[in-house]
Amino acid sequence: MDELFICRCEEVTRRELEQAIEDGAITMNELKRWTRAGMGLCQGKTCAKQVMALLAQKTAQSPAAIKPATTRNPVRPMQISYMTKEAE
Amino acid sequence: MQENKAKNHRVIKHPILPAEAPCDVSIFVDGQEIPAKAGEPIAAALLTAGIRIFRQTAKKGYPRGIFCGIGRCTDCVMTVDGQPNVRTCVTPVRAGMKVETQIGLGRWAE
Amino acid sequence: MSMRKVQAIVIGAGPAGLAACIEIAKAGGKAVLIDENAKPGGQLFKQIHKFFGSREHRAGVRGYDIGNQLLQETEDLGVEVFLDSPVYGLFRDPRGIMVSYMQDGRERALLGETVILATGAAENALTFPGSTLPGVMGAGCAQTMINVNRVLPGKKVIMVGSGNVGLIVSYQLMQAGAEVAALIEAAPSIGGYGVHAGKIRRAGVPILVGHTIKRAMGRDQVESVEIIALDEKFQEIPGTEQILSCDTVCIAIGLTPLTELAWLAGCQFTFIPSLGGHIPIHDENMATTVSGLYVAGDIAGAEEASTAMEEGRLAGIAAAEALGLYDEAAAAPLKASVWARMDALRTGPFGQKRHEAKALMLETAKGGTK
Repeated sequence: MDELFICRCEEVTRRELEQAIEDGAITMNELKRWTRAGMGLCQGKTCAKQVMALLAQKTAQSPAAIKPATTRNPVRPMQISYMTKEAE
Repeated sequence: MQENKAKNHRVIKHPILPAEAPCDVSIFVDGQEIPAKAGEPIAAALLTAGIRIFRQTAKKGYPRGIFCGIGRCTDCVMTVDGQPNVRTCVTPVRAGMKVETQIGLGRWAE
Repeated sequence: MSMRKVQAIVIGAGPAGLAACIEIAKAGGKAVLIDENAKPGGQLFKQIHKFFGSREHRAGVRGYDIGNQLLQETEDLGVEVFLDSPVYGLFRDPRGIMVSYMQDGRERALLGETVILATGAAENALTFPGSTLPGVMGAGCAQTMINVNRVLPGKKVIMVGSGNVGLIVSYQLMQAGAEVAALIEAAPSIGGYGVHAGKIRRAGVPILVGHTIKRAMGRDQVESVEIIALDEKFQEIPGTEQILSCDTVCIAIGLTPLTELAWLAGCQFTFIPSLGGHIPIHDENMATTVSGLYVAGDIAGAEEASTAMEEGRLAGIAAAEALGLYDEAAAAPLKASVWARMDALRTGPFGQKRHEAKALMLETAKGGTK
């Protein structure tokens, strides 16, 4: 088990993320869409900081310059059935 | 399964915290009965019984267990009473619960 | 669709959220406190050690006792508390701020004239070969297991990180009956308070500064780790590898504020590494750049439970003032006394850094948007 899993949920490795950056993903949103890092059950809560640090390092930017991926609701795991019940 | 280790994993004697309540219910993990405390997180009951591997990942089939312990990371998800992807670190034990090692994304019970 | 509207919605029932509700209720306001967990208190109930600071900060009182006092006060003041109710969305609305949450298997929503986000922080993860093996976990995870759930996550632990969390959790793991085989720290010196480090040193735990974890090994769970020494430039020194046997690796390398709801609300952010990264810009009232929306506690920069409580009080008082429950003359001395206590907490070699970071935040807020 020598892989470096940055995104634990989607099992995305450091190597896959580096490859995506080399291929031209220069924003957090692109990295997310290209690799699925941050698209799993936890929605990037665990890996976003490391992905951001990697992107900053590989693109020689300050982490301050990197915009996080877009946040969308729901920000917590939710069953679809919760949405289909009529609101009171 | 290593039920005989249970006593060693439960923190019974503690210099600060009060005496620990005993287990009062049972749950079933992959068909095997283990003791648990009603209301404690499922993950705590599993760790007490010496069970640390909660699921196998979807892509690589690698083992996972608890990681954040407070419902954020979702590493500890298992299939509980037929429902997959239940966060065992924040889901309380109920008597008779059926907990299964989740393979990949899990399957809903019919 | 008519939606219930309340004066204040506080999201997160940890030290900051509880303190905020208490202040709003004291001012005669109506606050609803919403938390995703089955029990309130946030991470206070796993803090079994005595807190530092002055007497007003309840120094010498254990974290869980502070938690119980806050809960009692919240109850005495009649604060309405929704538990098991994860907030999943936040929307700006002409009528106020809409907070969407889940409860009893369905979605629900409330409108708040003011909303205070006290959502806390999450532990930082670390990636190395084997970092996904069962047995590798956050130090806070291990702390929750031993002190709240009363179960050892493992018996022989390697702690990674020598900040206060790493030091305190190492000691608490030993109190719970585990062995801490070593504490390793990448920096050349210990990160946390000397008094905590001394306790675990005296207990015989080797503290290896200038070391990092190279990999965790084991077939289906952790059986050992390989560590390696680092030079001053944090480069590995070949030939210094050591294999240590263990069944648990705890990661204590800092926290990241849980800011999703502030992003959804459209808050402006700034990036301050010493406070955990992206932080919603907030002023001396804990007000964000979104009207009616406040932040308090770790979401406003990861610090300690004691500062989180004070920030909660400040946000609560400021929200009460915005709601017209206090006039400026009544609110000013209340806020000043919170600031005096907060300044006292942010002193010393560790506090000073946070003090400077917070001062930078206030400058950013004053300077407007970046």
